[in-house]
Amino acid sequence: MISKKLLLFIGFIVILIVLPFLVSGYWLRVLTQTFLFAAIATGSNIIIGFTGYPAFGNIAFFGVGAYVTGVLMTNYSFSFFTTLPIASLFGILIATLLGIPILRLKGHYFAIATVGVMETIKEIVDNMTEITGGGLGLTLPIMQGEPEYIYKFFYYIMLLSLLFSLLIVYIISKIKQGFALRAIRVDEDAASVMGIHTSLYKTFAWAISAGLVAITGGIYAYWISYIDPTTVFGGTYPVKMFAMILLGGSTSVIGPMVGAFILEIISELVWSKFIEIHGMVLGLLIVFIILFLPKGIFETFKGGFSIKRLINNLKENKL
Amino acid sequence: MLLQIIVNGILLGGFYALIGLGFSLVWGVTNIINLSHGAFALLGAYITYFMFQAFHIDPFLTLPFSFIILFIFGYLLQWYVMNYVVKAQIFMLLILTYGIEIFLVNFMTTFFSADFRSVTPTYAGSSLEIGNVIIPYIKLGVFSLCLIITITISFVLEKTWVGKAIRATSLDLEAAMMVGISPKNIYAITFAMGVGLAGLAGSLLSLTQAFSPSIASGLTLRAFIVAILGGLGRIEGAFLGGLILGIIETVSSYYIGESYKNAIAFGLMVFMLIVKPSGLLGRKYYAEVKH
Repeated sequence: MISKKLLLFIGFIVILIVLPFLVSGYWLRVLTQTFLFAAIATGSNIIIGFTGYPAFGNIAFFGVGAYVTGVLMTNYSFSFFTTLPIASLFGILIATLLGIPILRLKGHYFAIATVGVMETIKEIVDNMTEITGGGLGLTLPIMQGEPEYIYKFFYYIMLLSLLFSLLIVYIISKIKQGFALRAIRVDEDAASVMGIHTSLYKTFAWAISAGLVAITGGIYAYWISYIDPTTVFGGTYPVKMFAMILLGGSTSVIGPMVGAFILEIISELVWSKFIEIHGMVLGLLIVFIILFLPKGIFETFKGGFSIKRLINNLKENKL
Repeated sequence: MLLQIIVNGILLGGFYALIGLGFSLVWGVTNIINLSHGAFALLGAYITYFMFQAFHIDPFLTLPFSFIILFIFGYLLQWYVMNYVVKAQIFMLLILTYGIEIFLVNFMTTFFSADFRSVTPTYAGSSLEIGNVIIPYIKLGVFSLCLIITITISFVLEKTWVGKAIRATSLDLEAAMMVGISPKNIYAITFAMGVGLAGLAGSLLSLTQAFSPSIASGLTLRAFIVAILGGLGRIEGAFLGGLILGIIETVSSYYIGESYKNAIAFGLMVFMLIVKPSGLLGRKYYAEVKH
């Protein structure tokens, strides 16, 4: 069974590797964007799904990564690849420092505190005009070469970042520390009694998550080559990320990635047809997912598709 | 000068108190963090704007309409949507209300346009002068109304049967059910009150500043900070939190810089969460994590 799943996954990756030679630039961009979201959702799932701490403002680290890469490349002429580990380190450092006080909070309070952190970092970046360009944004050096080559370059880099995130999450799901995180999700007090140093593990989970998301942010900055505080901190990113994690299922390794693929492809198909009502459709889609598919599509449709399961999901959490 | 700044802060704080009040009430009682609060407030603002533009009705007279329309909207929303998710994991409600916010903001942008609007009745320019301090009549009116509404809501919660039932539900859901309170109904009423109050706040907002659908999330975050500062589900808490936020925002924009006021407000909120998550006036049993 496991080997069949693995084969399916390898087949999927092989298709993605070959795809740039078959499709147009437009679809390459769409897929790169999808990988971006998949990588964010996969990385964030360590703290959100595995540990059960709803880090609503996890996108803050995406912004941090984007700005570290942006500032280093523009002001200090670092090469692109050297900025990525630095971006990741920044994410890890900030998450560790903030994690110690903030991860003591539970539930709603934690979710809000992360939103507060996201907004505070955004405002700080917005005000550091000399370094970050402030509200005007930051224009990164544009990559040299043929458009065709640039498209493929970012496609593969983003795919690589997604695979790297998946690998880290897979390793975490298999090692002892990963089990500790799941114990914390199920019952934190019990985990603590069992001898798990909960704050250490929670901080570790958040730091890894932040590091992965920051790398994605760095790649995004170079890819789009223009960043400003409003786009990289917040916008519709946090809620899209959560919807993807829920859609795919928060407890599995590849769930968030599957969710990202479904949601992004739907979003792209809708966007190209009804640009005016795109936002409204996104809002309704999120409401629909929360009402009917809160456990994710895998869990809901284990034995095949049926409307009855959707109705059961709806009734389950009724007051 | 400092006196003028503090008066401005208090006047602004009255509005923040009102926007935080509904938010805090809903959160404290139903455990829903209503991220669409700002969008509901804007719906109220648009009701006032359109009634003023189309029928030349005095903005202050549109308040009951905006409250009643949004009350009904909130009741239906809680009854037919929220009630299905109330008992799910905590972040489900966050995402659900954020989904509603995205929908409403885009709805307003599409149908009411993204232009900044404002309501300017004939008496908009006149103001009261006491010594060196200038108080515009409109802001004074808005502040007094915010105070009156807060006192009314406090009275409703303390003295009426519905109010007592709401407080009972917020303190202990199971005990409330045992004495015959229907939580589904109480949740719907509470949520409707919260949305109605958001509508009122929005209507008053339209008088004091220009608005567009894009400011929705800013309003929600203000409500958030007010609720955290004051303590959840506490009427006096929301008022205190609103005043503090208003004064801090005006004072810090004068002395430190306009652009830093958001960072300071959010920093204050995170600090408060770390030091005393239950808020300044928070007590035991109020808004503990229920899941």
